[in-house]
Amino acid sequence: MNRGSGFSRGWRSNRMAFLIVCLLIAGGVIAASRTGLLAPVEDLLATPLNAVSGVFHRLALTVNDNLTRFSDVQTLQNRIGELETALALYQSELVELREINSDYQRLTDLLNYTTTVTNQETITANVIAVDQNSALRTITIDRGTRDGIAISMPVVTKQGLVGRVIRVSANAARIMLVNETSSSISARLQSNRVEGSVRGTFSGNLEMDMIPLDSQVREGDLVITSGLGGNFPPDLVIGQVTSVSLSSDALNRVAQVHSLVDFDTLEFVLVVTNFQPVDLSVFDATTP
Amino acid sequence: MGSYWSLPLIVLAVILQSSVIPQIRIFGGEPDLLFLMLLSWSINGRIEQNVTWAFVGGITQDLLSAAPAGTSVVGLVLIVFGIDQLKQQVYRIGFMLVLGLVIAGTVLQKVVVMLIAGFSGFTVAPIQNFTYVILPTIAYNLVFIGPVYWLVRRIQPRNQRAM
Repeated sequence: MNRGSGFSRGWRSNRMAFLIVCLLIAGGVIAASRTGLLAPVEDLLATPLNAVSGVFHRLALTVNDNLTRFSDVQTLQNRIGELETALALYQSELVELREINSDYQRLTDLLNYTTTVTNQETITANVIAVDQNSALRTITIDRGTRDGIAISMPVVTKQGLVGRVIRVSANAARIMLVNETSSSISARLQSNRVEGSVRGTFSGNLEMDMIPLDSQVREGDLVITSGLGGNFPPDLVIGQVTSVSLSSDALNRVAQVHSLVDFDTLEFVLVVTNFQPVDLSVFDATTP
Repeated sequence: MGSYWSLPLIVLAVILQSSVIPQIRIFGGEPDLLFLMLLSWSINGRIEQNVTWAFVGGITQDLLSAAPAGTSVVGLVLIVFGIDQLKQQVYRIGFMLVLGLVIAGTVLQKVVVMLIAGFSGFTVAPIQNFTYVILPTIAYNLVFIGPVYWLVRRIQPRNQRAM
């Protein structure tokens, strides 16, 4: 008993050694996690956490949704006015688009051609958690390898591109959102096919850079994936251009892009399961 | 830890952090419940308990994050030892000192997480991170430390008696 107390006092008095041991253990855990050694244990421990977190997430979204609904009556009335105006404009455009669509259908039938977008096979997944670290924009969904989810699969909603799968366990997957600062997507403007790269910003918005100076970019232009690089299928909607400026080095133009996806209140997403990302790393090796 | 309440409290804090708290984010800032609970506990708890809580809480938190497991532990352990050193230097940790600890601890925790995330391949922009994540988080933590400290102080003596 006394020996135990003495040992305890001695151990506690040497706090620097205690701190170093703790930091070494933490460093070891981080290294093991990064190399994937802890992946089975992490998946096992995360499974119940994900399940409970999913219930709380849905509950929080429901409460938030109801609160917002009551407090936004005035905003909604204004919005209805705007939408009625927009509807009138879109109805005239709709007639024109129907004509174009019928032309397109005829041509498609003729060429027996179907786009990759219409051929998408998707799995619906519930969002069950948002990243603990608010500097990292990732979400967790309740589908994993058991459902056919694999790393790098694109994730979308009907509003547009959400992100891609970066980690999978048996019954959950982690998605890096397109507005994460580490995310970079090859994109093009739908109207004039100008290419660029869409990145996430710290403010949570999107930015399309590497746009040539001589290209025409207008507010409202639709930004879609280009498929270059092989990481995403082409023609997925990313967002709309809200403003255009010169890059800091004045060599390119930069467009601010607004995604139609509300990343803070995502409840359901679609994982595109029939897209195989292309591994271009083989071309990175220097030729002899 | 010898505490019946600690583990469920940690798990609850982590789950709330990933489900409810993101609904009240301002920019990238949000109250860091686990950090606040650990800080409140460390002011009156024993260092062995506090370190155990830092490890269990940090790793639990990282299980719901894209960062490698253990990322949150480093900052939390440094905070626990910092508070332990401070307790030996001052007679009593008063309210103003707690607020100072919240500010310093938030910055330390976020910077350490940012550095480890940077080494793990995530993009790190220190200035933007400070503006969009750290400053709003400090503001939130200063608001939330009161109720969290009150809650922990109500639970902590019961635990120590239970031991």
